[in-house]
Amino acid sequence: MSLLEIKNVSKIYGELKALDNVSIHVDQGEWVAIMGPSGSGKSTMMNIIGCMDKPTSGQVLLDGVDISKESSKALTEIRRDKIGLIFQQFHMVNYLTAVENVMVSQYYHSLPDEEEALEALGRVGLRERARHLPSQLSGGEQQRVCVARALINHPELILADEPTGNLDEANENIVLDLFRQLHREGTTLIVVTHDPEVAEAAQRTIVLEHGRVAREIINENFVD
Amino acid sequence: MSKRKMFLKMITASLLRRRSRMLIALLSIAVGATILAGLVTIYYDVPRQMSAQFRNYGANMILLADSGETLTQTAADAALKAIPEDALFGATPYRYIRLDMVSRQLSFTTAGTDFTQVQKTSPYFHVNGRYPENEREILVGKEIADSLGLRLGRVIELTYKPTVAEQNAGVPSDDWVPGAALSGSAEGWQKEPVYVSVSLDGEGLISSISIDASLQTPEFGGRAGTDEAYLRQFIGKKLPLEDGDVDALTGATITSGAVVNALNSARKATRTAESKRSFNVVGILETGGEEEGYLFLSLSDMESLTGENDKLDVVEMSVQAANSDELQSYADSMTQADERLTARLVKRVTRSETTVLSKLQALVFLVTAVVLVLTMISVSTTMMAVVTERRREIGLRKALGASDNSIRAEFLGEGLFLGGLGGILGAILGFVFAQVVSVNVFGSSITFQPLLLPVTVLVSMVIAAVSCLLPIRRAVSIDPALVLKGE
Repeated sequence: MSLLEIKNVSKIYGELKALDNVSIHVDQGEWVAIMGPSGSGKSTMMNIIGCMDKPTSGQVLLDGVDISKESSKALTEIRRDKIGLIFQQFHMVNYLTAVENVMVSQYYHSLPDEEEALEALGRVGLRERARHLPSQLSGGEQQRVCVARALINHPELILADEPTGNLDEANENIVLDLFRQLHREGTTLIVVTHDPEVAEAAQRTIVLEHGRVAREIINENFVD
Repeated sequence: MSKRKMFLKMITASLLRRRSRMLIALLSIAVGATILAGLVTIYYDVPRQMSAQFRNYGANMILLADSGETLTQTAADAALKAIPEDALFGATPYRYIRLDMVSRQLSFTTAGTDFTQVQKTSPYFHVNGRYPENEREILVGKEIADSLGLRLGRVIELTYKPTVAEQNAGVPSDDWVPGAALSGSAEGWQKEPVYVSVSLDGEGLISSISIDASLQTPEFGGRAGTDEAYLRQFIGKKLPLEDGDVDALTGATITSGAVVNALNSARKATRTAESKRSFNVVGILETGGEEEGYLFLSLSDMESLTGENDKLDVVEMSVQAANSDELQSYADSMTQADERLTARLVKRVTRSETTVLSKLQALVFLVTAVVLVLTMISVSTTMMAVVTERRREIGLRKALGASDNSIRAEFLGEGLFLGGLGGILGAILGFVFAQVVSVNVFGSSITFQPLLLPVTVLVSMVIAAVSCLLPIRRAVSIDPALVLKGE
C-alpha cells in the first residue's frame, strides 16, 4: 500500500520548471532515497512532501489525502501529525536542553511528556545528555536529538534532508543505524541526499535531474 | 507536563538563556516604567506639594459677615467646624480700626489680630524684631516705620476716636436732657472727622463745649477747637442748633458745618469717646504688600482701646485642598453653616495655584506620553531584531507544526513577561525616582501609592504587547521551508 503518491506534479517558478511532471510513489514502511545534483528539484520535492509548499499542478496523496490543494493552515496540521523532519543543520532551539527540544515537538503535536521524551533520547543513546544545551552537544549528538525529536510523535513518515551532510563518518554510521532500526520497526523513510553512501543504505533510490525523474535504482544489496 | 507549563518554560528559557537582546528590551521597558511610575507619583503628589507651597503665599479663603450682620469670634469658630480639622492650617481674625497718632496728626489703619494664627496664614510676613507677645506691644508696617523714623523699642501713642456711626450706634435719641454730657462727631473737610463734646446745664442749654478739629486744615478749620470767639457763640444755645444760631468760622465753612452736625447728632457717650494707649514697637513688618502701611495689635489690646467686644471684620483662613473645587465646597459648607456669614476663596491664590497645577500636570502627562512612545519604539525595534535573529528557530517551530497562533502566543508571552518584569522594576525604581525628585524639588517625602504597582505593571505589559505586534507579524510570515535549505 502506498503511503505517498505523487502524480504528474509540476512546480513552476516563473520561467523555471523546478519539477516537471514528476510521478513518485512510496510504500508504507519503505525506505527511499532521493538523489540528484543541485538544481535537480530535490529541495522543491522535499518542500512539497514536507507540506511546506504546494505544487503548481498535479496531485500529492499522503496517506490517501490529497495535500496539493490544502490551505497552509491545514498543511501545518498534516505536517505536525504525519511527518517527522530531520535537517542537515540539525536546527535545535539553542536555549532549550536536549529533552526540552524533543518536548517542543510534543508541545505542538499534543502534550509534552518528559518521560516519553527521555525514552526517545534513550533510543538514540543520549539519555545521559538530556539536560545539555545544544552548545554542549557535538554535531552527531545534536542530529541524534533531532532524530529523537522526529520520531517522538510516531509519524507516518520521516523526511530527512541531507541528515548526514554535516557529520563525520562515525556519526553518519550512527545515524544510518538509527534509520535501519526505524525501518525495521516499520517507519517509512524518505532521505534526500547527494551522498551515494547514504542513498545506498536505502531500499530504493530515485534520481532527479532537471526536475524530472531520471531513473530509479533498486538497492539489490539492501540488508533488512 | 501540561501545555501551559511547557509554554512558560519555553518563554522563560528564551528570556533567561538568551540574555543580551532581552536585557535591552527589559531595560527599555524598565526605564519607561520608571518614568511612568515616577511621574505619575509626582503627578498625584504635586497637588499636595503645591498646596503646601502655595500656603506660603497666604490665606486662600476668607470669612465675612453679610451686610448688616456682625462677625464675631464665636460665630467664626462655629463656622470653622465645617472644615475638617486636618485641612485647616490656620484661621486669623482681623478687626480693622483707624487709630490716630495725635502728636503727628496722622491716622493709620490698625489691625487687631491673633499673632499665633498670623504666622500660620501669612507665612510670608517677615518681621524684623518679633511678633507682639505681651500687652501694649505693636507691630508696625515698614512703610509707616520708615516715614515716621520708628525703630524697635520706641513707644508710640495711639488714640481711638469713634466715628459718628460707631458713637451713635444703638443710642436712643432723647439724650438732650438737662445736665447731660454729650459727644458727637461729623465729617468735615475732606471727610476728616471733627469731634465735639458738650455739657448741658439744668435747663438743657449748652454750658461748655470742646471741639477737636485737629484733622482739619490747621490754618482754617483747625482753628475751630481754639478760636475763643467762635467757641463762645455756642454757650447758652439749645440743641438742636438751627441755621443762624452760630456764625461760621471764617474760611472754614465746611468744618463749621461739621461742628453743627456733630452737635446735633451728639449723644450721651456710651463708651469712652476717646481713649489713648501707648505701645512698644517690638517688630517692623515687611511683606512687600499693602500690609506695610498698617499697624498690628493684639485683639485684646484693640478691644481695650475701642471698648468693643468680640467684633471682627474678617477671618482669613489657610485651607488645604486638592483643587479649587474642593476648596469651594469647604467655603460653601461654611456659608451654609451660618447664614449670616459668607466664606469666599481668595481668587488670586487659588487661581494661580490651579493654573500652575494644571500646567504642571499637562507637562507631566506629555513627558510620560513621549517616554512611553519612545519605550514602545525601543522595545519594538529590539523585538524586531530578536525575530530576525531567531528566524531559523521560528522556521523550525513552524516546521515542527507550530500554528501561526502558537507563534503569536509565544512572542506575545515573551513580550508580556518582559512587560511585567520591567513594570515591577519600573514601579520600584519610579518610586525611588519620585522620592528623589520630591525631596530635591519640594523638600518633602512622598508616600507609596499601593495602586502604583499594578497600574505600572499593567501599562508596561500593554506597552510591551503593542510593541510586539509588528515583530509578531514578521515572525508569523516566516516560511518554515527555510530550515530545509541548509542555510
